[in-house]
Amino acid sequence: MEFYTNAFVQVLSFGPLTAMIGATLLGVFIGALPGLNPVMAIALLLPLTYSMDPLVALAMVAGIYNGSMYGGAIPAILLRIPGTPASIATTFDGFPMADKGEAAKALKIACWSSAVGGIASAIALMTVGPLLARVTLFFGPAEYFWIAIFGMASVGVMVGSDPVKGIMAAVLGLLIGTMGIDNLSGQARFTFDQTWLLGGLDLIVVLVGLYALPPVLQLAEKADLKGLSAAQLRLNDVPFKPGERRALIPTWLRASGIGIGVGILPGAGGNIAAFLSYNAAKNASDDPASFGKGNPQGVAAAECGNNADNAASMIPALALGIPGNVVAALVLSALTIHGLQPGPQLFHQNPVLVGGFMMEMLLTSVLIFALGGAVATRVFAQFQRLPGVLLVPSILILMCVGVYVINGRPVDLWVMLAAGLAGYFLEKVNVPLAPVILGMILGPMAEQSVRRALLISRGDATELLTRPISAALAIATVLVIIWPIAKAMRRRRDAGKA
Amino acid sequence: MKIKTILLGLTAVTALAAPALAEYPERAIELTIPACAGGGTDTSARKLAILLEEKLGTSIAILNVGGGGGSVGASQFMQAKPDGYALFATWNSPLTTVPQVQNVAYALDSFTPIASTSETAYTLCVKTDFPATTGAEFLAELAANPGKYTYGNDGIGGTMQLAAERIFQAKGIDAIAIPFGGAGETLQNFLGGHVDIYGGSISTVLPYVENGEAKCPLVTSAADVPALSGASGLAALGLGDKETLLWRAILGPKGLDQAIVDKLAEVIDAAVNDPSYVEFLATKGEVPNVVKGEDLGARLQTEYDALAEVSKNLGL
Amino acid sequence: MEKRQDIVLGLLFAGLGIAAAWMATEYTGASGNYPMVLGLILALLGGAVTVRAVRSGRSEARALIEAPAKMITTAVIATLYVGLVVPLGFYTASFLLMLALPMALGFRQAVYALVVALVFMVLIYLVFSVLLEKPLPREALLSFFASGA
Repeated sequence: MEFYTNAFVQVLSFGPLTAMIGATLLGVFIGALPGLNPVMAIALLLPLTYSMDPLVALAMVAGIYNGSMYGGAIPAILLRIPGTPASIATTFDGFPMADKGEAAKALKIACWSSAVGGIASAIALMTVGPLLARVTLFFGPAEYFWIAIFGMASVGVMVGSDPVKGIMAAVLGLLIGTMGIDNLSGQARFTFDQTWLLGGLDLIVVLVGLYALPPVLQLAEKADLKGLSAAQLRLNDVPFKPGERRALIPTWLRASGIGIGVGILPGAGGNIAAFLSYNAAKNASDDPASFGKGNPQGVAAAECGNNADNAASMIPALALGIPGNVVAALVLSALTIHGLQPGPQLFHQNPVLVGGFMMEMLLTSVLIFALGGAVATRVFAQFQRLPGVLLVPSILILMCVGVYVINGRPVDLWVMLAAGLAGYFLEKVNVPLAPVILGMILGPMAEQSVRRALLISRGDATELLTRPISAALAIATVLVIIWPIAKAMRRRRDAGKA
Repeated sequence: MKIKTILLGLTAVTALAAPALAEYPERAIELTIPACAGGGTDTSARKLAILLEEKLGTSIAILNVGGGGGSVGASQFMQAKPDGYALFATWNSPLTTVPQVQNVAYALDSFTPIASTSETAYTLCVKTDFPATTGAEFLAELAANPGKYTYGNDGIGGTMQLAAERIFQAKGIDAIAIPFGGAGETLQNFLGGHVDIYGGSISTVLPYVENGEAKCPLVTSAADVPALSGASGLAALGLGDKETLLWRAILGPKGLDQAIVDKLAEVIDAAVNDPSYVEFLATKGEVPNVVKGEDLGARLQTEYDALAEVSKNLGL
Repeated sequence: MEKRQDIVLGLLFAGLGIAAAWMATEYTGASGNYPMVLGLILALLGGAVTVRAVRSGRSEARALIEAPAKMITTAVIATLYVGLVVPLGFYTASFLLMLALPMALGFRQAVYALVVALVFMVLIYLVFSVLLEKPLPREALLSFFASGA
């Protein structure tokens, strides 16, 4: 306890405090602007902090990371453009809510859910984190394979009205995921002798094109010349109705648990936390059909899930020295530059710094409560007062600059444009886009893990099922697929009786 | 239009005029790193860039181009203008190892070697309960049990794998290579017992040697490594000529002006030997090592030829 | 559902799947099996979509593009923009886009558009070129002035 009170005092000094407030605000902006994402922002800003006090540097990381995960929800709700890959699931119900004139409510729920998820995750990091870190070591290639398959099972909630087309989109995503050098054999796949394709297609490049361009083109088709008036925006603060917040608590608990669980596994990745939480919320609901049509529970699950992943993803990095994602790798890199050695001794080596960083992850989540709502409604929603025809080129430019700075190569702009045009037409013919991204994220994980597992077991496929954790995960996957079907059948039978 | 032009003028870029050495550098330098942000090469290069910025009096913008084991970044950098404002901070693998297993568009002469910066050995480590402790015992145990042990490495055809296979070939050892995405992932699978042997950089595994969870019988350098007192260097095992190191260097595009090369090599030399950088390297188990200009080119060529032989024997 | 659209969609995906599976035959060992299976599944699903569309009796009209003139104008201008970003430089091309696209979509308040364009470009410049120091495609105009001066 003394450990944290010490850290708390340190963090509340002037430097870290201002850094947290500034960085959380900045993070919300970065998340909200399509094309900019937290990984890029932290990679760009971290070098500026090498000469600073490490607690200030880490405060900036914490603020940007937590702020941007929430920020991604703002364009997802207002424009149906996810600001980050993790906010795709937020568009499912967030945009329909905005369409019904409930934008302010959706933003408020997103803000609360993000803050709750972030706080839960930070508490996990501060309490059970070091213990749980050891548990993650039991997850070998066979277990990672099942996690990927488990994640893929959640595709069920996003296939929309036409399952065949939904699965087709997922397979397309899996195929795109195989592009580039195969890490296990050195074989170049689908690279068409282009060196820039050796690393595969960049997820962010495809995401920005696929998800941002279709709404932009539709905005252009509407050719709105006037913009909304302040009255039309309808962004006045809507207080929660009695009982409304309580109704969200089970969803928050579930989504926090899922986000923490996914986040703590190195490499499993936060992008799927939101999908899994959304899936779980829909499965648990009495009225699954209302999801995708503006159910507040959907927004709450997605936003809570993606923020709950953040602090948890720092657990293996801080406790074991194993970075689970790029942000964690950047944090470890910054600690190294400040002369610290990541690994199991980090806690003893510099308790003030490690404890301080955990405290900063917690406080920046709390800051989302204070700052998030205001930024969303006072700043971002106001952009809708600009005539739509001016918003179109502005968003296009942001998309281009964001995509260009990832790898500094013009060809990525063409990839984005092509993905966007493809996305525009695919949506029109009822092919959902979310499964494409899910396939791109999970495909490489599934393929590489299963091949590694087979290399280790000398080709014996039964090892994928006989290890206790992998067997449990396999059963969970089957349940996740069967559950909604069984529930729907039971409901039909009940309806038949009545 | 005018306001914008003035605004842009603030960056003070003059594009077409060839830079005379006296003024070099007069604008920002772009440093390409062929790896993702946060990795070992990235951290070393960024730390060095801070010192170089001071000594050169200009800012250095960093561009991470990951993928393909470094070949994507190298191919992209190859097309840069040799005006001294585009530099490439890499580790040896994209230049000497990756071309052995991939069809790449570049060759060693696509670049102008400027200076190497630091080097370190790879290490092979096992859990404390492994039935061998010294380098000689370790190799004997592997040789006595062909196909029994798995070792994690940084990716198929990566320098780490070739470094290990050079030793294994010399001793007739058959161990199963399990490629992972990087040293962090290898460590995770090693600690979890999913692979028997950790193969990768020293700094990643060092904390676990210090807390007694792992022991490292072998390093891939000829000499012993001070940070890993229990590990044998290859010279002690009579394998001194099988040394393979991980080293980092800064290069320019082909046809870079010799005067600029000399100036940069001198500045890099000073920056690398700056006490703060030496100390930083030490925490990562690396030591400064500056080889400049043509000597660096010769070093690249020698390593390229030696690894070509190993990969041919491996059938990669 | 619109019958013709689904037939074409199914055929496109089936073709894509077959092409991918065929390319995968050239890849060594395990690295080829997975994309080949994926390609074949994609081809099957595409085929299923086509067959289903052919057999389905009804065909409801579904517009692929709601406002074709505006959509095509925007797509063409966006393509031109991406093509011009490198030769003209990022800021020049973006500035032109900020003016040209609204005009093409029927916006006639030139001063309004100019002010928004300027403010927006300054913001982008401050964030990317000043704060983050990210190299963006260089301005052709500057080189022109520099060589002229």
